[in-house]
Amino acid sequence: MAEQPSPKSGGKVSRRDFIKLMAAAGTVLTFAPFVDWGKFLPNPTGQSKERQKVELPDGSQANVNSFPVNHSEAVIYPKTNDPALNKESFRTWQFIRLPEELGGKKNDISAFRLYSMVCLHLWCLWKYWPQEGRKRGECPCHGSMYDPLTGKAFAGPASLQAPPNNVLPRLDLEIATDGNMWIKPPNWSVNGNGIVGYGRYLT
Amino acid sequence: MGVTLHKENSLTRFLRWVYAGVERTIFMGLKFTFPSRFVSPLGFLGMLTFVLFIILGITGALLMLFYEPILDRAWNSVKTINDVIPYGFHLRNIHYHASNAMVMVALLHMYYQYFSGRYKIRNEILWVTGIILGVLTILEAFTGYDIIFSERAELAISIAASLTNSIPIMGPQMRDAFFGSGFHDFVLRFYAFHVFFLPIAMLGLMVVHFPRFLVFDVPMVMAITGAIMITGGVFPVDMGLKFDPSVPPGITVPEWYLTGLYAFLRSAYDKFTTGVAWPGLFIFILLIVPFIDRYKKFSWKDRPIVTAIGITSLAQIIVTTYWGFYIDPDRTKSLLERLVIDPVFLYLVMILLVPLSFGFTYMMIKLARNAEANAKIQPKKPSGKSSINLSEKSIYAIFIALLAFQVYLNIAAYYAVLAGMKNYSLFIVGIIMLVFAAMWHVYRHGKSMQKAPPPKPTVPPMPLKAKPPPLPKTGPTAGELTAGSKVLEDSITKEKALAPATKGTTSSSQSVQSVNKTESTGPTHSENKVVSDEKK
Repeated sequence: MAEQPSPKSGGKVSRRDFIKLMAAAGTVLTFAPFVDWGKFLPNPTGQSKERQKVELPDGSQANVNSFPVNHSEAVIYPKTNDPALNKESFRTWQFIRLPEELGGKKNDISAFRLYSMVCLHLWCLWKYWPQEGRKRGECPCHGSMYDPLTGKAFAGPASLQAPPNNVLPRLDLEIATDGNMWIKPPNWSVNGNGIVGYGRYLT
Repeated sequence: MGVTLHKENSLTRFLRWVYAGVERTIFMGLKFTFPSRFVSPLGFLGMLTFVLFIILGITGALLMLFYEPILDRAWNSVKTINDVIPYGFHLRNIHYHASNAMVMVALLHMYYQYFSGRYKIRNEILWVTGIILGVLTILEAFTGYDIIFSERAELAISIAASLTNSIPIMGPQMRDAFFGSGFHDFVLRFYAFHVFFLPIAMLGLMVVHFPRFLVFDVPMVMAITGAIMITGGVFPVDMGLKFDPSVPPGITVPEWYLTGLYAFLRSAYDKFTTGVAWPGLFIFILLIVPFIDRYKKFSWKDRPIVTAIGITSLAQIIVTTYWGFYIDPDRTKSLLERLVIDPVFLYLVMILLVPLSFGFTYMMIKLARNAEANAKIQPKKPSGKSSINLSEKSIYAIFIALLAFQVYLNIAAYYAVLAGMKNYSLFIVGIIMLVFAAMWHVYRHGKSMQKAPPPKPTVPPMPLKAKPPPLPKTGPTAGELTAGSKVLEDSITKEKALAPATKGTTSSSQSVQSVNKTESTGPTHSENKVVSDEKK
C-alpha cells in the first residue's frame, strides 16, 4: 500500500466524497418508488375512464328524441353497485333539457346540460325549476341561483364567490346514432369539467 | 391506635419491586410532584391538558365500539349511543365537554406561558412543539364534531374541503388525497384522522413537549373532571339534525374555537386569504415569538411590547369569536344579509383593536408599577394568610361526613340512571368527583399536619416576630443577633482565659478587649429586653 501513489490532490472528487455521493444516490433511489405510492390516497372510485349511460331515475336511458324540453332529472354519476354510495350528493347530477328560448328544441347536444347538483356555497342540492319566470337552478338552503345555460351562479351566496367557485362542474355528453345519450369520461380539474363542490372556470 | 396501614406484605413488596424496575425506563427522567397543599393551577395547566387528553382517549375508545363511520349510518349510530346504549349518553357528553375543556385549557396554558415569559431561554422547543400541539388539538376537536354528520358537521366539512381546495396549485389534489372524493370518504377519513393520525402525532409531539418536572395535583384533576361532568349534566350536548342535502338547514355556527375564523370567512372575501392565510399567519407568529422576544426579563411588566402584542391577539380573538357567533336576529332581512359581515367593518375593527390594546397594556403596566412602588413605601401589613387549623378530631368528622355524602350521591346517581334522568345522574357523578377532590385535599392537609413539628407547649413566639426589639442603629440585624452574640461571648471568655498569661506583655490584647466590650453591650442589652418582653 505504501508504494502506491497517493491520490492526486488535484482530483475532482476524493474517494471518500464519491462513496458518500453513491450512498446518497442509493438512498434516494431506494425511496423513490414510494413517491408514486401517494396515489394510494385519492379514492379511485370517484374516477371513471369509460363512458356511461345517462340513466334516468326510472332506469331507462335518456334519449334525445323522447326527453321533454324544459325538463330535468337527477342522474347518478359515476354509478356504483352500492345503493348507499349512489345516494351520495357528490354523485348526483342534474340532467337538463334547456327551455325553448335557450335552444332546447334542437335535437343535438347543445340542447342538454349535465351539472353537479352540489351547490357551490355549502353543498346542499339545488335543482332546476322549469316554471315560467323561474327556469333556473335554485338551492333550497341559502337561495343561490344558477343559469341553466352556463352553470354560472347569478344570485345568492354562490354568486358572490370568486371564480372558479361560482360556476357548476359540468359533464360532457354525446349522442349515439339511435339517439341514446352517454356521458363522456370527465377531466376533474377546474379548467376541465370542474371539481364537484368547488367549481370550474368558465371557458 | 394500634392499626396502621404501613404493613409489609407480598403485594407491597411486589409493588416496590416494580417501582425499582421502572428505574430502567424513560419515566425515571420525569420528576413528578404531588403538591402537599393547594397550589395555583396556572403553573400546571399543561399537565391538566394532558389529563384531559387521557380522558378523551378513554371515552373516545369506548365510543368507537358503537360509532359507525359510514355516510348513512354515522348520525344514526351516534343517536343510538346517545339514546339506547347504557351510559352512552354519559360517555358522549364527557367526550364532548372534555374536548372543549382541552382546547380551553391548552389556550390558557399557552397564554400563561406567554405572559410569564417562560417560553424563551432554552424553552423554545417546548414552545414550538406546544404551538403545533395546540393546532393539532383544534384539528382533533374539529374532526371530532364533523363525524357526527349533522347539519353543522356538514357545514364544517364543506368549509374545510373548500378551504383546502382554495390552496393555490396543489389545493384540489390535496383535497382529493386527504379528504377523498365525496361525503362517504369525508366521513370515513375524518374518522381515521380523529382516532388515529392526529392522536398519534400528538403523542409523538408530547414526548418532546413534556418538561422533566411535572406537577400532578390530584384534587385539581378530580375537580376539572367533576366540572366537565357537571357541565355535561347541565348543558347536555344535542344531536343536531341529520344532514339531508335536499332540506334547508337551520343556521348553524361552528364550535366556539372556530367562530373567530368563521367571522373572517363570513366577510365573503377570498377564501384562501381569510381561511388559510390569516390563521396560517397567526400560527406562524406564535411559532416565532420566542425568537423575537429579546427582552432579558421575564415578567409581563418588563416586556411592554410583547405583552401588548399578546393583549392585542387576545382582544382580537375575543371580538372575532363573538362576532362569528352573532347573527342578525332580524328575520325580515334576507339570510345573506344576516350572515355576511362587511369586510371593511371587520378589518377596521381588527386594526382599531391594535392601538386600543397597546394603550390598555401601557395603562396596566403603569398601574402595576405604581402599585409596586406604593407597596414598597407603605409598611408591610401582616399578610392575611389565615391558616385553617383543624384538630385531628374535626378532620375525622369531616371525612366521615364526606363519606356519608358520597354514599348518598352514589345512591342518587344510580337511581337517576334507573329513572332515565341521564343528565341528572351525570351531574351527580360530577359532584362525586368534586367531593373526592375535597376528600383528597383534607387528607393531604391532615398528612402535612402530622409531618409538621408539634406546636410548642410554651407561649407562642408571636410577639417576638411581630415586634422586633429596638436595636442600636449600628448593631447587627435581628437575624444575626443570637448567633453573633454567642460568638462574642465565646471570644470574651477566651480573652479572659488568655488574659492572665499575657497580661502586661502587650497592649494590643487590651485594646481588643475594650472593643469587644463596647460591641457586646448592644446585644446583651437587647437580649435582656427581649426576655422582659417575653415575660410580659
